[in-house]
Amino acid sequence: MESSDEETTEKQRIHLRSATLCDAAPAIVHLLPCEVLVNGPAPVERFFTPAIRQRPSGLEVSFRGRILRGEEVAVPPGVAGYVMVMNEKAEVLAELERRHKRRGLEHEEEAQARSEPLERDFDRCIGATASFDHFHLWGLETIPGPDAKVRGALTWPNLAAAIHAQVPED
Amino acid sequence: MSIKRLLILQIHHLFSEYLKDASKKMKSGLLFVTLANPCSGEGAIYLFDMCLQQLFEIKVFKEKYHSWFINQSVQSEGHLHFATPMDPLFLVLHYLIKADKEGKFQPLEQVVVDDIFPDCILLLKLPELEKLLRHVTEDKEINSKKFYKYSKEKTLRWLEKKVNQTTAALKSNKINVSARVQSAAYFSADQVSSDKEEDYIRYAHGLISDYIPKELSDDLAKHLKLPEPPALLPNPASKKIKLSDEPVEAKEDYTKFNTKDLKTEKKNSKMTAAQKALAKVDKSGMKSIASFFGVKNKKKI
Repeated sequence: MESSDEETTEKQRIHLRSATLCDAAPAIVHLLPCEVLVNGPAPVERFFTPAIRQRPSGLEVSFRGRILRGEEVAVPPGVAGYVMVMNEKAEVLAELERRHKRRGLEHEEEAQARSEPLERDFDRCIGATASFDHFHLWGLETIPGPDAKVRGALTWPNLAAAIHAQVPED
Repeated sequence: MSIKRLLILQIHHLFSEYLKDASKKMKSGLLFVTLANPCSGEGAIYLFDMCLQQLFEIKVFKEKYHSWFINQSVQSEGHLHFATPMDPLFLVLHYLIKADKEGKFQPLEQVVVDDIFPDCILLLKLPELEKLLRHVTEDKEINSKKFYKYSKEKTLRWLEKKVNQTTAALKSNKINVSARVQSAAYFSADQVSSDKEEDYIRYAHGLISDYIPKELSDDLAKHLKLPEPPALLPNPASKKIKLSDEPVEAKEDYTKFNTKDLKTEKKNSKMTAAQKALAKVDKSGMKSIASFFGVKNKKKI
């Protein structure tokens, strides 16, 4: 369903299919220090992965002829990483049904969800396709230092917990 | 084909509940909705868990010139989305303050109404809300029906406690808070020990100010007796951050939220300070999840 209408966007709800979370297989994830201007399949396993070398200072690889150095960064404790893809509701439901049929499971939850008033026709749907508990952080020539923005961002869940924790009553 | 992938870091206990119960009959109740950001009043994305009846805020880490490799694919924007628990009181406060102009006690269903963001009524389903309201309102009970009125005095006391607990978290997480340290990102973490109490409070005030309207933020500064901030040295860190807000990208990315976002972009200086303070979690990223959700329009081929 196309929704060029701004109002619809604001009223749209995006339903996260919780059933996709349990099927999300671990993914290998790299954060590159450059912007590749396309989204789509790429033979990472053919060109990038076999070129990764373990050096005393950390990991080393080259991409488009430039040296990248990096290291493994863990997702903070208590937090989980998911890769999510937005889909048409119909596609996701069909996929879930296929998977559940394969495993011989009745898919009652989704059947129930379809009749849920929380979901309306113009709503959209998102599902997890993969999960991760660490990723490879790459920098050009050097490993991104302790002041790298992404490292700062990873401290956010801790800080957010404090900001939003309930305060004691007087 | 261009498929956008969204990388989400999620507080584990939320999803693990679902993983545990996925085999059982369980209502699917996770939904992203657009609600009014309590600071700017503009649209922002939040995640509701209707089963556990919890509210989460979505923030986006984004920095220029990054991409992801995810298995055998490339994802152009190196964004990282965070879903973290949110105190719903901040969102309700936005409506209480608005309704206070009428200056009378009202039932909550009359206060939390919004033509632009009708999903705000989901807030009323949060079970602990009534208890939380005591922090920011006076209430009256007539015929076992509750009526509420915004109380600025109580709200300021509540916010002061928020500032205190945030200050404690800044210390325990060893986050650099002094203006000088911030301005030179290459200073080592050892500097932290020299930070003054006032810097922590100012920093925490900045963080909390991301969740309340500007006027309330100013009142809170007075309430905390925060002195005027010292004139900041021209600082390379903030310059870097500005550079990353690429206007070209903004135009392209935020089609739907365009006009609003431009307004939000011109936030008061406190926002920018808070933004820096936030160990560089990019607040403006709020819009980017919106753009992700609006991806249909951008899809090529």
